[in-house]
Amino acid sequence: MAASLENPDELDERERTALKTLLKRLADDEFVLAERYTEWQVRAPSLESDLALANNAQDELGHARLWYDVLGDVGLEERDLVYERDPGDFRHSTLVELPFEEGDWADAVLRSYLYDVAEDLRLEALVDSTHPKIADRVGKIRSEEEYHLEHAQNWLERLADGGEGRERLQDALDRLFPYAFTLFEPCAPPRGANEASGDEPRAVDPDVEDDIVDLGLRDATLEEMGEEWLSIVVPYLESLDLELPVDGRADDGADEFEFEVTEAMLPEERGRDGTHTDAWFDLYDEFTHTYRELERTETTRIMDKPE
Amino acid sequence: MSSNIPDDTDATPCAYTDYREGESTADLPATGADATGLAADVWDALYGIEDPEMPISIVDLGLIYGVSVDDGDVTVDMTLTYSGCPARDMLTAEVEAAVTAVDGVEDIELRLVWSPEWTVEMVTERGKDDLREFGLSI
Repeated sequence: MAASLENPDELDERERTALKTLLKRLADDEFVLAERYTEWQVRAPSLESDLALANNAQDELGHARLWYDVLGDVGLEERDLVYERDPGDFRHSTLVELPFEEGDWADAVLRSYLYDVAEDLRLEALVDSTHPKIADRVGKIRSEEEYHLEHAQNWLERLADGGEGRERLQDALDRLFPYAFTLFEPCAPPRGANEASGDEPRAVDPDVEDDIVDLGLRDATLEEMGEEWLSIVVPYLESLDLELPVDGRADDGADEFEFEVTEAMLPEERGRDGTHTDAWFDLYDEFTHTYRELERTETTRIMDKPE
Repeated sequence: MSSNIPDDTDATPCAYTDYREGESTADLPATGADATGLAADVWDALYGIEDPEMPISIVDLGLIYGVSVDDGDVTVDMTLTYSGCPARDMLTAEVEAAVTAVDGVEDIELRLVWSPEWTVEMVTERGKDDLREFGLSI
């Protein structure tokens, strides 16, 4: 195992691809979720929830930037990673790109819960990353994430209390749960990074995910994280009297979970492999609109860099 | 008549907020107190930069983790209080400009660092006074 993967010039092709793949998973999830959260600004059910979600969006944008900054070391700038990137190259889970139906606050709350539990687990698996810049960022991000989960659970409990709120939660759960599984799906490597990918969607290369763990970039496999995620979200959602479409319980144990995701449990578009819903391409057009309209070739800075 | 006015002794902090103090880190806050020569001049320049929202120097706020000088090449390690800080580019540009303007500095490398994470414990005593003066409870 490499002692340190910090120096970008010393990375071999395998290490570079693993690093890029991991960082794109992390950053793209945060960036796209933030884009969706901001749609609630001035539309959330109360002033407090409006401010809370807007603030969570700002947190996620900050975290996306911390991860994108590390990609800067391997030559990818904000322009390449956001505004001039092929939308098919984004590797976020499709859970974060789905549009909200008008006024469906239960969706926003549940989605945030499903995502934030998964995020907490993957951050935990990055604490001892062999890449120092990754490890150094985890503490900061975790300290800001704690509130997100608290906020989501607080709202879930209120909505689940009865009546229409509970029904809306159940609908959202039926709809979102298959997409939440894609949080733990393997990634196709970045375009052009590997001939095996052939630059085609769905060309998932399981070796890349193995490399991420073998190189010590992250110390848990997708399956391990998925299993732990199930063991947290399933009992919790059941305690709110919600019915899980799939509960992941092993045959014999009441609280033993197995993360065995079959094709039938997954949605058609998984994000990690480069396949996305139509809503993603619309969202991409929207957030790159001004950049294109103004014929920008680089991202705008508040102030010029000093000479 | 005054029965509706809450008594100070009854005041309770917001139940939804965790008022953590954060951990203090042995070498921080860094203030350049022992710096000499060009490094001392760089610290002086950094002291001159204020937080965009509060009347406090970024050094007293604890954002600067270290300054090192190699001939005219200066490296500054700096953090931000918040990962999503909207003033990030403004602050880093200001630091680069202020340090570059110091007589004897040829080049500056500004490194944004995130560990240890910034907490209120990083604020210097003088900084705490400034923040109290501004009306913050710290």
